[in-house]
Amino acid sequence: MTILMVTPYAPYRDGIAAYAVQEVRRLRAEGVDIEVLSPLPSAAQHHLWLGGPRGMAALARRAGRYERIVLQFSPEMLFGACRGPVERVAVWAGLRLVAARTRLEIRLHEIEYGPLARNPAERRLAHLTLQAADAVTVHTQREVAQLSEAVGLDPGVVTLVDHGASFTAATQVSRDTARAELGLDQAEHVFLAIGFLQEHKGYDLAVDAFGKAGLAGQASLHVVGSVRVDHPDLLAYARRLELLCRVTTGAHLHNKYVSDEEFDRWIVAADTIVLPYREIWSSGVLERAKLYSRPVIATDVGGIGDQAPPGTLFFGDVESLVQAMKERAQTTADRLPPAGAARQSPEPVEEWTVDLDHPRRDDVEAQIRRRVRSRHLGGPNPAGGEAGGASPVDPLLALGSVLRPETLSARPGVSQVKRLIRRVLNWELQPIITHLEALQKATVEAVTELEVARRDGDTHHQE
Amino acid sequence: MTAPVAPGTIAVVPPRYGPGVVGGAEAVLAEAARGLRDRGHPVEILTTCARDHYTWANEFPPGESDDGGILVRRFLTRTDTGGVHRERIGARILNGERVSLSDQQLWVNDSLRVPDLWHHVLDHGTGYRALVFAPYMFWTTYAVGQIVPGRTILMPCLHDEPTARLDIFRPLMGGARGVWFLTDPEADLARRLLDVPARHAVIGSGIEIPGSYQPDRFRAETGITGPFVYYAGRREWGKGWSDLLAAYGDLVRQYPVDLALVTSGVGAVDAPADIADRVIDVGFVSDETRNNAMAAAVAYVQPSVMESFSRTVLEAWCAGTLVVANAQSAVVRWHVERSGAGLAYRSQAELTETLRFVADRPDAAAALARPGRAYVEQHYQWPVVLDRMEATLDAWLPGPATAGVGASDSVPGDGVAQAGDRP
Repeated sequence: MTILMVTPYAPYRDGIAAYAVQEVRRLRAEGVDIEVLSPLPSAAQHHLWLGGPRGMAALARRAGRYERIVLQFSPEMLFGACRGPVERVAVWAGLRLVAARTRLEIRLHEIEYGPLARNPAERRLAHLTLQAADAVTVHTQREVAQLSEAVGLDPGVVTLVDHGASFTAATQVSRDTARAELGLDQAEHVFLAIGFLQEHKGYDLAVDAFGKAGLAGQASLHVVGSVRVDHPDLLAYARRLELLCRVTTGAHLHNKYVSDEEFDRWIVAADTIVLPYREIWSSGVLERAKLYSRPVIATDVGGIGDQAPPGTLFFGDVESLVQAMKERAQTTADRLPPAGAARQSPEPVEEWTVDLDHPRRDDVEAQIRRRVRSRHLGGPNPAGGEAGGASPVDPLLALGSVLRPETLSARPGVSQVKRLIRRVLNWELQPIITHLEALQKATVEAVTELEVARRDGDTHHQE
Repeated sequence: MTAPVAPGTIAVVPPRYGPGVVGGAEAVLAEAARGLRDRGHPVEILTTCARDHYTWANEFPPGESDDGGILVRRFLTRTDTGGVHRERIGARILNGERVSLSDQQLWVNDSLRVPDLWHHVLDHGTGYRALVFAPYMFWTTYAVGQIVPGRTILMPCLHDEPTARLDIFRPLMGGARGVWFLTDPEADLARRLLDVPARHAVIGSGIEIPGSYQPDRFRAETGITGPFVYYAGRREWGKGWSDLLAAYGDLVRQYPVDLALVTSGVGAVDAPADIADRVIDVGFVSDETRNNAMAAAVAYVQPSVMESFSRTVLEAWCAGTLVVANAQSAVVRWHVERSGAGLAYRSQAELTETLRFVADRPDAAAALARPGRAYVEQHYQWPVVLDRMEATLDAWLPGPATAGVGASDSVPGDGVAQAGDRP
């Protein structure tokens, strides 16, 4: 018989998906016959939308086929499409049915206590479901206590599983190399806050505290992450962070979607990982910090207190975070140059210089490193390379022609419908496209003429 | 679980492989796999059971087979998602709209997926010396290429197109152990759009030069007697065919030239009625017929902007034929500027005048084309390309004989290497 793991899954890249991939890899290596079901199409063998009662009912129908189901529980995956308390109760009931049909392990990464407190029926169903499950696992002792209290569960039902049990390192670079590749100063104390940009992660608190700590010059704070969903609140938070970093010397927002390797490279490069979460259950970032033995400053929320390694500095408000940052920055103060010594400025960016007849690899390697450094320090982008020789007409040329979508589709009949729509609309659209293209051509030619005239003028002037 | 991997094996991962597969990246990977095998490297092909990249239907049987000493592992495709999100979000991407990360993920997963291939690499990825993926935008590269990034060599085959700007492709390229580019302009584009790792090199691709050409045979087979310019490939959106038609139309309407436009390949011709008799479609032809057509033509026209290598341009030069190229394609312009064997145009008006030049002065066109073949011979022969592949592999992912790579995603040494020679 086969085990089914129900979880967000790769190539989606969030904390639970990454956790699940590492666990699947470990189980498969142990010879366990395991399949994966994800709520959205992914690398999983199966996909099934689970955001409400229908999805859970469909999962219950499949449950009997499997020896065991491991559910990576998250509210978004299970209740994301619920339209009220009744549907939430139905989801729990469906999950109870799953537990009746096979051995169910519920691995709780997060749970919403609010609805449980507000709705006795949901609390009752949650209690029944968790009680019926073959195993309920969490990552910290504090989560055991909170969960037991919230749903009236015997604490003995809930077991602890090490969050980082299946975690493996994605990079082997040294701290110095990581810093060089990321363009970070070798001497500064580097604080890092990393993860998707969401208000509950509290990155703004870290920036605020860093500014108040007055550590610019001896330390820097790097917030690395991206906005996962185009929700107005999330976009607004990212903009707010960007503004905060702009006005806080030494604080930098790297709004980017990074690879697993780069994620770990940032952690290796850092002196201190800052987890200023306003709310969280447990943290994958914290586990990665432990993997590389990086000290942590964190808020004591959710299960972080239990999960954090010895020596973690906890804070409750911005003032205590300021103190914690100062304390941590002091641990590396000896790396800084003596007071009054001139800080070394970044090396100037140079043009590519490769002797095509006798190329030297070490020369190129040195150039690459300098460019990487320059790019991350915000200097001129050597990769662009053409800025100096660019023609004013280039942006116009880069526009290309007006591109019309293909009428081809893999879905039966859709190609014909698209072609029909194109024929119907063509009489109206084609003149507009023709006019646009004529306008573009005329503009290109006019700018080219002007550019030629300007260059001729420059030549005459030089003569 | 699939069978284990022999030590030192290089996995080549094209989305499709085998007879009847049409595609530039697929052809390059297949040739590279054969070349590396001939040089004594253990090579595996990890691919799908699909032949057609529109339907992704499973036409080849799944499982293992031997292709001349190369172990081919095929995995079933899944296309059970309907593609509604892909079309909806894809239209927004093409329109240049901002698309959220979650929608980008939805887009890339709402088409072909190959879970068994993904899990094969999850299980055995660290057993390979290297895994070579191309092109960047297919799920086989995007999803599978991020499992063991420390052993991933990405050959992105990047075009300047809206999808190349998607955030989801940043970790793919930024996390790869190394990147192989086909041309310098492609590398420049990647640097502008994505995070390019320090370990990257322009390795190019090889072109097979025919032993001889028979232009008269092409004329005899098609009945074409007069001078003509030639275009081979897909006559479709984004390939510039309509621009070529428009410029050619302007030419023959404005000037009394004796010049036909001959085309082969797939897609509707859609020539305006007044020039339809001068636009000749010879259909989908064999490589030999295409080569003969290249040799018979006064010039080969490459109107496409979205080129990462432009194999047909190099094939035209092998045949001794002038290339007329769209200067908006950085890659083709780069080939033209380096070889000196072509003329690049920047607008439709310039294309019209260029066509007039080749119609008026075919002798000058032939003279201009002369350096082209030497350019290809110098830069785009498989032995040279394979030398570059081996040099970068040795520098970035040393084989077990030289470095004792263990079963981990990490690889000894942080040395950054770049191939010295440009193709």
